[in-house]
Amino acid sequence: MSFHHLDQYATISSPVTRAVPAVRVLGTATLACGAALLPLGAWVPLLVLFAVVVLVGGLARLPLTAVLARMSGPAVFVLLASAGLLFLVPGEPVARLGPVAVSDAGFERFTFVLGRAVVALGAAVILVSTTTFPQLLQAFRQLRMPNVVTTALALAYRLVYLLVDEMERLQRAAKSRNAGAGRATRRRLLVSVTAAGLSRAFARGERTHRAMLARGYRGEAESLDATRWELRQSLMLGTMVLFVASIVVLAHARP
Amino acid sequence: MALLEIRDLSFVYPDGTPALEGITLTVERGERVSLLGPTGSGKSTLLQHLNGLLSASEGYAVVDGQVVDDGSVRAVRRKVGLVFQDPNDQLFLPTLLEDVAFGPLNDGVPAHEAAELAQRTLDELGLLSAQRRAAHHLSGGERRLAALATVLVSRPEVLALDEPTGDLDARSRAQLIRLLRKRDETLVVATHDLEAAHALCGRGIVLHGGSLVADRPLDAILNDSEFLERYALAASLDA
Repeated sequence: MSFHHLDQYATISSPVTRAVPAVRVLGTATLACGAALLPLGAWVPLLVLFAVVVLVGGLARLPLTAVLARMSGPAVFVLLASAGLLFLVPGEPVARLGPVAVSDAGFERFTFVLGRAVVALGAAVILVSTTTFPQLLQAFRQLRMPNVVTTALALAYRLVYLLVDEMERLQRAAKSRNAGAGRATRRRLLVSVTAAGLSRAFARGERTHRAMLARGYRGEAESLDATRWELRQSLMLGTMVLFVASIVVLAHARP
Repeated sequence: MALLEIRDLSFVYPDGTPALEGITLTVERGERVSLLGPTGSGKSTLLQHLNGLLSASEGYAVVDGQVVDDGSVRAVRRKVGLVFQDPNDQLFLPTLLEDVAFGPLNDGVPAHEAAELAQRTLDELGLLSAQRRAAHHLSGGERRLAALATVLVSRPEVLALDEPTGDLDARSRAQLIRLLRKRDETLVVATHDLEAAHALCGRGIVLHGGSLVADRPLDAILNDSEFLERYALAASLDA
């Protein structure tokens, strides 16, 4: 199975992909935190942050359709998680959905939460689209994330690809014998394929551990030196942090 | 003194399955030996004893004068580089460079030196351009070479290869064999591939049901068709 499509935008040369991965991670965190810290109803500052996200996405030369497609999955989750606000926040009813009423305050809070989510998700999607997983790991190491965590993430990354590959092969093998006709059979097939996949993952984990031991692993994995920060990158990040911080402060200070 | 010595070695898996029984053999420095035998004959298990991954139930293994045990296992693993049957088991980090540098880093080599060593090894195998790629972006042949690189980087004295030509296409197989023929490490190759064994090794050790049934020049084994059939190393297609 080919996985090239997942990293297809990370290879486009742009000011974003040229930035040190740690700067990209911190920039994303800054935008997400900025959106989260805005007071309710601060639409103009939120639009400014959204404009920053759009600008960064443009600089990264990401196709809008790709960004929207990658945002759609988590966006559904946000929609579901925040839908309760429409009905639970007290206020004047503006619409009725069966026995429950949508309040004006609930509607305002719901739309603002969605706005915040769009900014945060947009920034996150730009980050993961422009940054390969190895670069993300490099960023986490630069940001002094514990070695045991980055090692676990590194191993999980490879294992997930191998697991997906193995599950696909199992599924193909089952389908080649006409398995999966009918919903109930498909469900049973999915359960057996998942069980077989997990058992294979366990066996692979054992073999991988042996391969690690064979190359001198003693429970503590060292990593290669991370890329050094340049002054220019720090200045870019500093400017962004100051910009977002001032927007948040101004939004809170407005009468 | 032999570089590798195995004396009366037996091994039983924790579930009670016997895997090796009373194996005794020696391998001299620079020698090239193929371990032959059908699936389940104990070839991989024996290789893992050479690297100290498995501990003998009875008997012992000696590598360069050191009995393989908990005290010597670090030194032994530096001397015996084990390449596993499935390269995916051996390539577990997000980039090829990190995978190849893993061994030197565990040996305490500073990170920048480990990266240099890894790049040099990848260059030797023609994989330098793939150093930032993940193993799932490599072809089967490249993956096999990459697994070999993860071991060669530590400059081991013994290369222990488990089915190195398994699932390779003709071109990748020939490339791997050419590459291995040029190297001067002691070679122990567990394989079903008699042609590859013949191209790489002068001596053949045949295992069957966990026991050593022959230790002879490879030519003598390959020319004995009755022996090959008896120990399932070759089989006639005619009933």
